[in-house]
Amino acid sequence: MTETTMTRASDTPMTAHRLGLIAVAVLLAGLVAVPVAVGDQFVYHIFITICIFAALSTAWNIVGGYAGQLSLGHAIFYGIGGYAGVILVNLGISPWIGMFAGAAVAVVAAIVVSWPCFRLHGPFFALATIAFLEVFRVLALHFRELTGGATGLMIPLKIGWEWMVFRERLPALLIAFGMLLVCLAVAWAIRSHRLGFYLVATRERESAAKAAGVGTVKVRLMAVAVSAALSAMVGTFHAMYLTFIEPESMFSLQFSIQIAMFALIGGIGTVWGPLLGAVLLVPITEFARGALGSEAIGLHGFVYGVVLMLVVLFLPNGIMGLVHRFTAAPGKTVGEQAAPVAAAPRSAVPREAGREVMRIEGLQKHFGGLHVTNDVGFTLREGEILGVIGPNGAGKTTVFNMLSGFLKPDEGKVSVLSPSGEWQQPVTPGDFASLGVGRTFQIVQPFAAMTVEENIMVGAFHRHPHVGDAREAARETAHRMGLGPYLNAEASSLTIGGLKRLEVARVMAMEPRILLLDEVMAGINQTDVRRAVDLMLSIRDTGVSIIAIEHVMQAVMSLSDRVIVINSGQIIAQGDPHDVVRDEHVIEAYLGKDFTHA
Amino acid sequence: MLEVKNVDAGYGSTVILQDVSLHVEPGEVVTIVGANGAGKTTLLRTISGLVTPRTGSITFEGRDITKLAAHETVDRGVTLIPEGRQLFPDMTVRDNLLMGAYSRHARDYQDDTLRQVLELFPRLRERLDQHASSLSGGEQQMVAIARGMMARPKLLMFDEPSLGLAPIIVAQVFEVIAQVAATGTTVLIVEQNVFHTLKAADRGYVLENGRMVLSDDAEALLQNDHVRQAYLGI
Amino acid sequence: MDTFLQIVANGLMLGGLFAIVAVGLTLIFGIVKVINFAHGEFLMVGMYLSFLLSTGLDVHPYLTAAAVAPALFVLGALTQRLLIQPLMSARDEHVQIFATVGLSTALMNLALLIFGADIANTPAHGVRSQVMLGEVRILTGQLWVFAAAVALVIGLQLFMKKTRTGRAIRATAQNRAAARLMGINDKFIYILTFGIGAACVGLGSSLIAPLYPTSPTIGTYFVLIAFVCVVLGGLGSIPGAFFGALVIGLVDALSGFYIGSDLREAVVFTIFLLILILKPSGLFGTRMNLSHVSP
Repeated sequence: MTETTMTRASDTPMTAHRLGLIAVAVLLAGLVAVPVAVGDQFVYHIFITICIFAALSTAWNIVGGYAGQLSLGHAIFYGIGGYAGVILVNLGISPWIGMFAGAAVAVVAAIVVSWPCFRLHGPFFALATIAFLEVFRVLALHFRELTGGATGLMIPLKIGWEWMVFRERLPALLIAFGMLLVCLAVAWAIRSHRLGFYLVATRERESAAKAAGVGTVKVRLMAVAVSAALSAMVGTFHAMYLTFIEPESMFSLQFSIQIAMFALIGGIGTVWGPLLGAVLLVPITEFARGALGSEAIGLHGFVYGVVLMLVVLFLPNGIMGLVHRFTAAPGKTVGEQAAPVAAAPRSAVPREAGREVMRIEGLQKHFGGLHVTNDVGFTLREGEILGVIGPNGAGKTTVFNMLSGFLKPDEGKVSVLSPSGEWQQPVTPGDFASLGVGRTFQIVQPFAAMTVEENIMVGAFHRHPHVGDAREAARETAHRMGLGPYLNAEASSLTIGGLKRLEVARVMAMEPRILLLDEVMAGINQTDVRRAVDLMLSIRDTGVSIIAIEHVMQAVMSLSDRVIVINSGQIIAQGDPHDVVRDEHVIEAYLGKDFTHA
Repeated sequence: MLEVKNVDAGYGSTVILQDVSLHVEPGEVVTIVGANGAGKTTLLRTISGLVTPRTGSITFEGRDITKLAAHETVDRGVTLIPEGRQLFPDMTVRDNLLMGAYSRHARDYQDDTLRQVLELFPRLRERLDQHASSLSGGEQQMVAIARGMMARPKLLMFDEPSLGLAPIIVAQVFEVIAQVAATGTTVLIVEQNVFHTLKAADRGYVLENGRMVLSDDAEALLQNDHVRQAYLGI
Repeated sequence: MDTFLQIVANGLMLGGLFAIVAVGLTLIFGIVKVINFAHGEFLMVGMYLSFLLSTGLDVHPYLTAAAVAPALFVLGALTQRLLIQPLMSARDEHVQIFATVGLSTALMNLALLIFGADIANTPAHGVRSQVMLGEVRILTGQLWVFAAAVALVIGLQLFMKKTRTGRAIRATAQNRAAARLMGINDKFIYILTFGIGAACVGLGSSLIAPLYPTSPTIGTYFVLIAFVCVVLGGLGSIPGAFFGALVIGLVDALSGFYIGSDLREAVVFTIFLLILILKPSGLFGTRMNLSHVSP
């Protein structure tokens, strides 16, 4: 047994990271310092507007960037906040309270609006949000008694901190800046804790996230709720600042697009991106408007549109993407995964199979006219390695999908023994995950936007909700899988062998009792196969039961206690590997009828 | 006729094929066998232009086709019948076949070729107006092969023709392949089903983990221990 | 009863108008699989071109179609070639969305810059004259638009089903890799299709210009309605888009009268949302058209 060396990736990321934080701090300080120093009303106005847009964009990014749900109707929440604030102010209630009322309404609206739409893919989700926005706008125009309709609503000019209305600009700037800080803090907190990881995982590979036990709908709803609440609160303040609101500008599609645009240009999915985008682009608008006036109406919009297209074509990761490119650590990422696998200490678990832990009975599945699974049934015993083999297209992965909640069988039962000893019948991938069933995917599904360590953490969170514990557990698992040196590498930079190992590592971090492996040996070279076999045996020795679909015969022979052969959706042989492989039917299935007599 | 020299190819940063070379002479039936994930499909996709090789060269009838796009190699006379049939599901069998004759050198002879092809696949005559997605697996494979023939190819490549088909259908498919070869078309087959394909072929190559490890006459390969090992691990 | 028939007639005529815009949109989506958020701006550009040509050359706006449709074809083809094609292999979906949104914003604001926010009225040249069909009053221009929509739908269907190029376009949509193996140049097909889709809108814009006031923001309204028609009719289905448009036209007219003119849009968009959520394949769509929903 060898120790894996703990080589850390070079120190550059640490220093760059620190420099970046300092730069951001300077930028933020500047947002207040510059207008105070200059003292001009117009400059104050620009910086207040920057703060507002940056805050809104940051809030939007939680949904659009982290969760990957592109909302082009976010003005709904901004508008709700605005109207709530103004309506309540006209009833004598302070906007500080109105802010929270607006946020509450926005959260409800957000959940009602997004939940049914999550199953819609990208552009259609965007279209749905636009449709919702338009409905709100029309309704706001219609219900005149409440909202003032097209003529809009004014706030009574009560001055003071209680009413968020001031004679000088500085207090307004301070509030706007404060809200920006709140939004940034929330965005940063989400990204660095479990919710953020879960959101990115859901965005990248929803099925892998589900298999890791992530409640994909729940996390997205949380993101939407938080984003809506923040947007509404900013909306309330902005309404006070503008002193006059009406539906066209409060529920504006162009406004929603701008918020999203700033996030993209700055760097979608990053914490600081939206801030950068706003800082860069808002001054352009305001100066254009100020300097060119009504002459150039449309100029800033035209510039936005062109910049957006250029960014999308040449700089899709925005400004932050550019920054990362220059500060990326030139770590060792590509090449042979030379690190030997550190086998876990072999415990004294006996090699004979124990009690049954999984029962599969009479599975049937049809895809249209095709009978893809025909009466498949078998059992898995504790501590056993069960190999599943069969020709390409025989239906093995379909069976796996039914054993992990990704496909519902037409008939038949899948039962899993819970840790407390009762038999349960899980249905969703989440159910299976809670019962300790973990699976890998035939086509490896790394969460490309995250590092190796973060990928594994997604699995680790299943057992360790706290980010620090999860990181520890992930590191430990990484070392066991031989991925130690690659912890800080981008997942997408691994070789296929590394990706396969990452896939297994992510599942192992969930500390499963039953492991479903789908062709983990495919496409990797001989040495890696041997290592993978050792790894798998050591996993089994820790008490995990394994079902492995495999094509690489050498692996199947040396690993499996028992083998099942599936052909055309049916089990054609079961038993000791060496016997099964000499079975006439099996040879016929793999090589063709005549070969059996050859 | 076809010369592949020292080709490296893959997807994104992953390298699948390493230093692969092979050749096919006019009128031959050549087969490439190997386990799942060995790179056989990638090899055919590289020859047909769906994937561009990183290094190495591919020549067809003396002319370099290394960098050609997929639709251009078809014009040169190289046709691929892809893995999993890949028919046009919402088109009739007739329209699928007509699509096969889209390329410039085939479209003028469309009607003649259709007649010839239907003689080779008489069962398709009754199915001409059916939607391709309503056919069985075996029938779809026949349509896919017929569609390939419609391009009047000089070199016809098959990617795993037996995939997902019942053994008895597989036998029929290979009978048809033999007939195709008998018309003088040069054939290159990639297969997991070792026995059928080596029986049908003149020569064979064995691809393992992206590298060519064996090359011999088909007869000799059938008797080769390594070949048997590659599939049953015995 | 007369009022009801009038409203139905208005609705159908409106539907014809929506259909011309929707047909190009569904073609582009069905084949290229891209949601063209700038489609409404294509219409707006076409309407301004018609306006300029018919006032500048003092000709009937319908005649300008001979120049506007090809011009829009070029615009569509360029959009595909320069904006969409480089992004077709992008890993993230949002990239394509932002691209056409960016184009939409740029075009709309460019029009604002050039023409200002004022409304441009293309001279009617008689198309606003009324015609009586029984008790129902219709504008001649509306009839022409309706006829053009029908002709367009029939023409496109014939093109797609009977011509070699049309078959090639359908093949590319159904299985892009296989189409390439047939010798079809998929990149060219996409450019052609985008161009045709835009040209349809160009043709429509010459017919719509004398009926509707033109302004830089007119595109937004039409494109959203067009999306509703397209989804209702089943993505990628040209006849579906036509019938979807008729339904929406009727809904718009009926709800305008019976519920309230200011709530028309809300009704239409609510229907849109219900369809997206409950029956995403649309009224006429097939299972193949469900690429926009997760199973």
